[in-house]
Amino acid sequence: MKAIVDCNSFYCSCERVFHPELDHKPVVVLSNNDGCIISRSDEAKKLGVQMAGPYFKAKPMIEKFGVSTFSSNYNLYGDLSWRVMETLRVLVGKKNVEVYSVDEAFLDLEEMPSEKLQQLSIEIKETVERWTGIKVSVGVAPTKVLSKIANHLAKKNKVATQCVVVLDTEEKINDALRRTPVDDIWGVGRQYAEKLYRFQINTAKDLQQMDIEWAKKNLGGVMGVRLIKELRGETAIKMEEELVNKRMIATTRMFGQAVDNIKDIKEAIATYTSRAAEKLRRQNSAARTVSVFIVPKEQSHNTYFRHGPTISSYITLPAATSITQELIKPAVQLVNTLYEEGKIYKKAGVMLSDIVPDDSIQGNLFCAPAKNSNRLLMTMMDNVNFAMRDDVLKFAASGTARDWKMRQELRSKRYTTRWNELYEIK
Amino acid sequence: MDEDIFYGAAYKGSKRFSQWEVPTANATGFGAAADDYMERGIDLNEQLIHNKPATFFFRMNSDSMIGAGIHSGDVLIVDRSIKAVTGKVIVAILEGELVIRRLQKNFNGVVLMAENKKYADIPLSVFDERANVWGVVTFTIHHL
Repeated sequence: MKAIVDCNSFYCSCERVFHPELDHKPVVVLSNNDGCIISRSDEAKKLGVQMAGPYFKAKPMIEKFGVSTFSSNYNLYGDLSWRVMETLRVLVGKKNVEVYSVDEAFLDLEEMPSEKLQQLSIEIKETVERWTGIKVSVGVAPTKVLSKIANHLAKKNKVATQCVVVLDTEEKINDALRRTPVDDIWGVGRQYAEKLYRFQINTAKDLQQMDIEWAKKNLGGVMGVRLIKELRGETAIKMEEELVNKRMIATTRMFGQAVDNIKDIKEAIATYTSRAAEKLRRQNSAARTVSVFIVPKEQSHNTYFRHGPTISSYITLPAATSITQELIKPAVQLVNTLYEEGKIYKKAGVMLSDIVPDDSIQGNLFCAPAKNSNRLLMTMMDNVNFAMRDDVLKFAASGTARDWKMRQELRSKRYTTRWNELYEIK
Repeated sequence: MDEDIFYGAAYKGSKRFSQWEVPTANATGFGAAADDYMERGIDLNEQLIHNKPATFFFRMNSDSMIGAGIHSGDVLIVDRSIKAVTGKVIVAILEGELVIRRLQKNFNGVVLMAENKKYADIPLSVFDERANVWGVVTFTIHHL
């Protein structure tokens, strides 16, 4: 049996750990730059606050009902996410946990006797809540897709199910599938759902009963077949080893306020490149391709939140590198080619790709390999920044004032990662 | 008492180290003999943190627990996985606020006691471990 453990309104739950007065009260968390709503507590959902809706649109309602609003505090969420995953690893064993996202993990429970699954799931849920303060829902079923459906049902009926649903018999599975519309199935997007509805496939049960050969022809080949198999309880999506090395590293941010001069954009790009290079080094890789993009704001007033088409370009380096200054240079040069005088920009980003392991860099006959001293410098810089935090060491190209930096007016304290922001108790 | 179990199985902290991180004596000849006895130095985490994912830090900001040797400015180590039994110093949830007090259960009910005469005891009419206890204070770090 597989289980999925999914945190309930994760970012809101994180805020509640150190703000118990917000229990059972409406809470929302805003995206980077306070632009959109990215997490809502159940109480906020009931008031009708829309997910991913722009903050300024929801603001009158938020003020009227006294919804507690937070800027995203990724330091806190990241730490609590680690705690949740670590608790799961302690409970079911490291090799049986597949971290799927910041707030979800699949568990492999093949070794558990089936009559104990209900009790075990409740124990998992309660231990995670007791140890970390984060409330989770648990769905257990023979396959990943079915466990997602179980989890969905648990979340929909939190009181009746106590946030735990175990689908361990054919009847329970069939009943759950009949109650699940196809667009609630894991991996079914909006377009795919429309396609299914056109074939009169409305519920997960309908889909489960489709002929495999027919599905191969009409439902997108492998994807359709996999879904049907999973719904029938046959494993088609295996537990995955954690993806250790990313194939692509991107750092993208909205500017705190729109930016129109090239100097600020260059500073932003240099900063994002440093951040991406740091991530690159953390996974012991090097990159050969640097892409840069900038997004201008559309000029008209009524489309305040829309932005214009992305302008991007990339450069391929003679050899893969993870040295920050070797990446900043081409990235900043790309800004020169992309920037247009007189336009206002909202967003920029850097992407590093063509990633190879650091120890097997393909040499280039025509240029000298990265000097060892640079490598040492990077290690030192990473160590200092990791220990001191807040990027105390950075390249001058990243600027010092940072007018374009993120807006985070409503961020709570970083209670778990900063000595000077600990909760002060009386 | 659970304070005495210093090496819990759940500890996943700084015990992760490879043999290469152990500093060698970096000596030749006779000095090299010391190399055979080189071991990892003492690590405070082993002593102070039993269950890392459940351990949080707080900063004391009042004199309410002065009698228990907890001074304003001290760092409190709080373990959420330990059961709050009578006599323990706990982080309690009181009307949505976090406070530090000693938990005292007796025949009349549950009382949150300060360790300072200036503060009145707080009797709890209903005590629910889940709703009233945030965590148990296990150690304090005090600057002399």
